[in-house]
Amino acid sequence: MRSTRRNFLTVTGTAAALALAGNLPEVGRALAGATGRGDRRDPFTLGVASGDPLPDAVVIWTRLAPEPLAPFGGMDRRPVEVQWQVAEDPHFRRVVRHGTTRARPESSHSVHVDVRGLRPWRHYWYRFRVNGQLSPVGRTRTAPAAEAIVPELSLAFASCQAWWEGWYTAYADMARRDHDLVFFLGDYIYEFGIDRGIRPNSNAPWMTQQTVTLDEYRVRYASYKLDPDLQAAHASAPWVVTLDDHEVVDNWADEAHPSAPPAQFLVRRANAFRAYWEHMPLRLTQLPKGPDLPLYRRIKYGRLADFDVLDTRQYRSDQAYGDGTKAPGPETKDPARTITGDAQEKWLLDGWSASRARWNVLAHQTAIARLDTRQGPDVLVPMDTWDGYEASRARVLGGAVQRKVRNLVSIAGDLHRSVASDLKLDFTDPDSPTVATEFVGTSISSGIDGMDLDPGGATLLQENPHIKFGNFQRGYVSCSITPQRWISDYRVVDKVSVPNGTVSTRAKLLVEDRRPGIQTL
Amino acid sequence: MTIRWQSAVALGTAVAATVIALPQATSSRPRADVQVSVQPERLNVVGLPCLPGNLTLTMTNTGSEDRYADLTLDPRGPLQLSRTLFSSWLPAVDPDQPVSAPVEVRVPRDTRPGDHSVDLEVDRSRLTVPVTVNPPPPKDPGSNVALGEQATASSTHGNFALCGAVDGDHDSEHWDTLTGWNDGTRAVFPDNYDVTLATPTTIDRVELYTLDSVRYPAATNGLRDWDVQVRSGSGDWRTVAEVRGNTLGHVTSTFDPVQADAVRILCLAGNGNTYSRIVEVEVYGS
Repeated sequence: MRSTRRNFLTVTGTAAALALAGNLPEVGRALAGATGRGDRRDPFTLGVASGDPLPDAVVIWTRLAPEPLAPFGGMDRRPVEVQWQVAEDPHFRRVVRHGTTRARPESSHSVHVDVRGLRPWRHYWYRFRVNGQLSPVGRTRTAPAAEAIVPELSLAFASCQAWWEGWYTAYADMARRDHDLVFFLGDYIYEFGIDRGIRPNSNAPWMTQQTVTLDEYRVRYASYKLDPDLQAAHASAPWVVTLDDHEVVDNWADEAHPSAPPAQFLVRRANAFRAYWEHMPLRLTQLPKGPDLPLYRRIKYGRLADFDVLDTRQYRSDQAYGDGTKAPGPETKDPARTITGDAQEKWLLDGWSASRARWNVLAHQTAIARLDTRQGPDVLVPMDTWDGYEASRARVLGGAVQRKVRNLVSIAGDLHRSVASDLKLDFTDPDSPTVATEFVGTSISSGIDGMDLDPGGATLLQENPHIKFGNFQRGYVSCSITPQRWISDYRVVDKVSVPNGTVSTRAKLLVEDRRPGIQTL
Repeated sequence: MTIRWQSAVALGTAVAATVIALPQATSSRPRADVQVSVQPERLNVVGLPCLPGNLTLTMTNTGSEDRYADLTLDPRGPLQLSRTLFSSWLPAVDPDQPVSAPVEVRVPRDTRPGDHSVDLEVDRSRLTVPVTVNPPPPKDPGSNVALGEQATASSTHGNFALCGAVDGDHDSEHWDTLTGWNDGTRAVFPDNYDVTLATPTTIDRVELYTLDSVRYPAATNGLRDWDVQVRSGSGDWRTVAEVRGNTLGHVTSTFDPVQADAVRILCLAGNGNTYSRIVEVEVYGS
């Protein structure tokens, strides 16, 4: 399986792989002004990242921003050459890929290098250099070869990181643990203005206004990405990202948001998508075209797992009954309404028809499980989750059953609480068979400290027998996946309102091969 | 003011072979297809901290391809801007779709009257907005001494401007888009909205306008219970008037003349038990 180092270097076509730091050739042209000679400001204030691994490739990312909150990140409005290296070791003794790319002002001087020619399922280290200054080093890992069944995959998933509501202690924990892959499932930023919070500078001027224009979204991403724990988590493993509502605006749906008529809203959406792509380790294939962001995609980890990364915002029908928490009714059951859009639903189902993976994973925004939030016989469910799109839910879960999809697991976020559920074809019938398993992860920080079990969580457990576990603290989920079983380790933080909170395992939940549903370890 | 932008600056740098090239729709090459307008055409400002001059910047793509554009603003002299950059995607559609963003223009309180300007630039073509600094309005007996003075609040909802309740606009029909303060903590009371006066002033009357529009009447959306408090020197806040059970849009509180450095509206309850909403606070002396 493994090619020799000699073979590999031949494939790269680089006769002399670069060795130690400091041996990189200088950029050919002298650059004046920002990041040119004489500019000693650190251009790598926002860290580095990698993402969307393939068996032979991974995207590596950085953004040059010596003054990340200033217009254009403190850069002159001209392209700047950036060198990059990918090595088999953290000391860059065995550099296997390198090159020069150009950070362009129209992309906020972000760099997205799609590094090809790598070997499957192995760690690499990467870094950037501009004007003699080296970036931090990131670690990444390629996906397994197409037919490989690797013995174990370690992944983490996270969502909802309201910066002003808490410290990113969960990310420090995530970075310390050895993950092969990290999923971020939405609400990387919050678009609305805030004027107070847990963190120093929560009321900084760049946080007090809502983001609408492209320059505003760019500054919002920069302000979040300055966090060292978030940077450490990005640098520790490749991320696969999707977005939810707050990357654009609260509870938007396709072209609809009450803040503006559709034509005007689409300009905001285009601005939000552009800034999103610029700040995420995404490929050019995900580059937005105006208000259209081709985001849903399939990430394959050999024969062990297929990850269907969904976008349930961009193509959804407007929320039923004016959004909020309502009783289910003809609108939520209307087969003409959709949370995925027709094309994405067909892509998903067709993908399942062809899947040979042991685990088939939906990596997406919000809960599929029914969430009755009302004590007693009345039923009130959120209109923004799959509960508001019951026909979509039936088509997707039913479609999986028809196609005999092996081990369907849903991972999601959005709720700011941990919720682990058996997924059923009919949630109103306790005897309805469990057809899949869902792990909703809590927020990294949104909602401040929370508590183990709040009244809302108690009601959810009482009213929804398919929910097997709930918790209302902050954190993320760390998963170990083998051909035989999936273990979800719910990591929770005792306090995110202080910088030195303690992270611990609140629950370990198990799913076995060919046995859908939650088991407690 | 509408100006067709002209440009004659060529792209300075050739593209190297190693570059991951982005589609040309995102290029920053100068093109003559962005039309810029500014409202108002000329701006008058005064040196009050909560009474900025407001410009609305508008970019319109008049070309045939969607694109992104950057409008930079360069303030001259004492002018301070809330933003020096407005970047946006601009769709090429028929009819043209203008894309707008606001910018606030401030000057320090002691700024001498005079003429200045803000230079705008898109695609290296320029436009100048003249800005005149006027003397601040006189704070005579009988005038509203809170107008434009520095406001602070326990919290401010993200969709609202802190200065919205001292901006001289007490029309509830302008709520949300143009004027008004709305606290940021739903269904949590008390909230407070404070105005620091320019100098210690003897006052005896506060007029409060709470939200009272056709769509949002005061009886269901306005402020219900509040105290009017004043502070002088390093002293504590002292209540000089109380309002309870209010259902009206405009309430006048009078009290014995008192020397005040600052005035506070201590919001105790709102009709509908959601937010504290103040369209304008006016403070008068005798």
